[in-house]
Amino acid sequence: MRVTQSMLSGNLLRNLSNNYSKLGKLQEQINTGKKVTRPSDDPVVAMKGISYRTELNNVEQFSRNIGEAYNWLDTTDDTYDKIGSALQRANELMVQASNDTSTTDDRMAINSELQQLREHIQNLANTKIGDRYIFSGTKTTTAPYQEGVGYDTNMSDPSFQKTIEIEVFNGINLQINSTPIAMFKEIDQMFEQISTDISSGKAGSELSAHITTIDNNMNKLLTERADIGARQNRVELMDSRLQSQEIIATKRMSENEDIDYEEAIVEMTTQESILRAALSVGAQIIQPTLVDFIN
Amino acid sequence: MRSTFMGLEASKRGLFAQQSALYTTGHNISNANTEGYTRQRVNMTPTLGYPGIGLDSPKTAGFIGTGVEVTAVQRIRDDFTDKQYRQETNKLGYWQAKSDTITQMEDILNEPSDYGLAQTLDQFWNSLQDLNVNPEDGGARAVVIQRGIAVADSFNYMYNSLSKVKENTAKEIGVLLKDANSILEQIASLNGQIQAIEPNGYMPNDLYDARDSLLDQLSTYYPIETTKVPSGGNALAIAEGATTVSLKLNDGTTVKLVDGNEYVQLRNSGESATDGQTPAGMVTGLHIVKVNSNGTETFLSNDWSSTRKTVNDINNFSTLGKFKGLVDSYGYSTDGSGDANTEKGQLPDMINKLNLMAQSFATEFNKLHKDGTDLTGTSGEVFFVQNGTTDETGITAGNIYVAQNLIDDPNLIAASDSDPNPGNPEPGNGKQALKLANMKFSGLSELEDISVQTYFEGLIGQLGVDGQQAERLAYNAQTLQQAVEERRDSVSSVSLDEEMTNMITFQQAYNANARMITVIDETLDKIINGMGRVGL
Repeated sequence: MRVTQSMLSGNLLRNLSNNYSKLGKLQEQINTGKKVTRPSDDPVVAMKGISYRTELNNVEQFSRNIGEAYNWLDTTDDTYDKIGSALQRANELMVQASNDTSTTDDRMAINSELQQLREHIQNLANTKIGDRYIFSGTKTTTAPYQEGVGYDTNMSDPSFQKTIEIEVFNGINLQINSTPIAMFKEIDQMFEQISTDISSGKAGSELSAHITTIDNNMNKLLTERADIGARQNRVELMDSRLQSQEIIATKRMSENEDIDYEEAIVEMTTQESILRAALSVGAQIIQPTLVDFIN
Repeated sequence: MRSTFMGLEASKRGLFAQQSALYTTGHNISNANTEGYTRQRVNMTPTLGYPGIGLDSPKTAGFIGTGVEVTAVQRIRDDFTDKQYRQETNKLGYWQAKSDTITQMEDILNEPSDYGLAQTLDQFWNSLQDLNVNPEDGGARAVVIQRGIAVADSFNYMYNSLSKVKENTAKEIGVLLKDANSILEQIASLNGQIQAIEPNGYMPNDLYDARDSLLDQLSTYYPIETTKVPSGGNALAIAEGATTVSLKLNDGTTVKLVDGNEYVQLRNSGESATDGQTPAGMVTGLHIVKVNSNGTETFLSNDWSSTRKTVNDINNFSTLGKFKGLVDSYGYSTDGSGDANTEKGQLPDMINKLNLMAQSFATEFNKLHKDGTDLTGTSGEVFFVQNGTTDETGITAGNIYVAQNLIDDPNLIAASDSDPNPGNPEPGNGKQALKLANMKFSGLSELEDISVQTYFEGLIGQLGVDGQQAERLAYNAQTLQQAVEERRDSVSSVSLDEEMTNMITFQQAYNANARMITVIDETLDKIINGMGRVGL
């Protein structure tokens, strides 16, 4: 084949520009840390990239939701604990009051302490997280216990029995509130009855019947608490599952689209030396023609 | 008897011929780097021997040579490689145009990234999850609105940018047709000049080169077919004649564009701008017109035999050349009718799919939103509307937006699933927000039961595959074109080494001829001055 100068220089130029474009591609990969920057680089990686991102995004959102679940369940549990202590104290006081050695004055003193406990529990029933009453079902902006009205009006509204659920994993919803308004009302009525009985000067044996009522309410509270405890466990399990999911999702995304730096840098070095070689060879072949040798 | 001075004449012819060759070598060297230049060679033939043959010819021993003559200066070029080169150029033009458009589309869609539509949608779904957790929180509500606006903005941006690219592609098609039409005019004018020169027995090599360059350029635009029409008169047998140029269609029909020094212009048959070349609607086909000297246009049939307008359906164009590449990106009518629902093309398809996606996303979202109740316990209203209205029908990617009343009052977001009758507000109820958030996974009937997210992934995947194919085929065509170009250069391009060698050859031959003349001079000197002087 007849080869001319213009062919050689044309080829050299073309090869140099090919080298530069490969070098550019590698530099872009190293700079961005990604194997692909546009879908046509690798459609499969690009498509998978979108869904892996979404998946990771989901997991991160669920982790955030879990935080809120912890917040609610822990607050509920803590409130129940305080109500439990109050009932415990009420129990002790009632045992003391039903003792026949107690004088009327003693009983009146006990009664006033019991009324303090009643108010304490009423306050606890109105526990808030941020601006939200946690025991109001879905009526989170209305207090369950209203001064002067008590629980009664709210009892008739079914919204106060409604659950609040959040999603903690794809399709898995978890109830984060509990709806103890009926129990609160019973406890309140119990305190009212005790107060009436003590004020009307009933005998110790009659008062001792209230100890059983307190115990009953204690049991109800314990059942509620057990439920919360079980849910706390579930959230913890979900939390650790989400944490490992997050690692898996991140890893999968990274394996899909991130470059292998060692490989990319080695390739780049190779490409650079090829370019260098092409340049030096180019300088050699372009130079001499027959013109240089005839005079 | 031979003539006394015959030798002088023969050598003089030698001098002239070698001088012509030397000048041609100089011409080659001068044009060593000229684009499209073909090296030239001086064809030398011996002149007829002496004596001439005839009844009264003298009887001499032998048939003596009388020297050399230059019959033609010919360019060295191979028609076959030209044909091959133009075929590959066709392919390259098509795939490069396609690949360019897809690159622009990829830039607009901007996936995979942390800023594209997929990410905006993800953030929107997240904000709804947050709303489910904190339904009474004004902040969470405002975030949902803002993320909703971001989704709408992403749709709007893609729609507007793709429309802009489409508009620019139309302009590019117009410019391409104008350029191609101007090339046709130039070829016709070159044909005219060639037809004027060839009958005189000359070879207008440099005009041939100019014409071939134009044909190369034209073949990047659309597939052409060329035939040669020899000039009459005293034209040399190796003269190339005028070139007839035709546009070649898929079914084998040809549209004559240049014939001798006559030419026609291609016009866009569909809806077009006033120049008749820039498409204003989808492309339906092309027809030819003859532009008269006063600027009026007459229709012509494909073979110029009648003045009937003949529209060549765009579907009859092969997938070759930049013109078809641009049309395939810009959009054409699949049956040539120009009906809106027959439009097809890389850009309109993408825009239509985005429209469908926006429409079905908005419809489904609105439906769920209307099922819910807002902070005051009343039923939800439409969330996504046509920008500036309260209308949810006819939403496209270009006009989707969040309803103004929701932007003004985020409390109207229907996050709750409480019973709207009798309208008991449940501020802590975020169940509808969760349903809205989970719409991300639900298949939509308009999208063939796949979710918005998956549909979009599919779009990106398809675009990626198309882009990859276009890029690969453009690369292949380029490689092949380079191989052919190499072969062509191998035949036609100037080699300085060769020219230098030729220079030496011709110079020496010139010198030798001059020496020959000196020798003859000396022999004549002998006869004239040295003879008949016996005894002097």
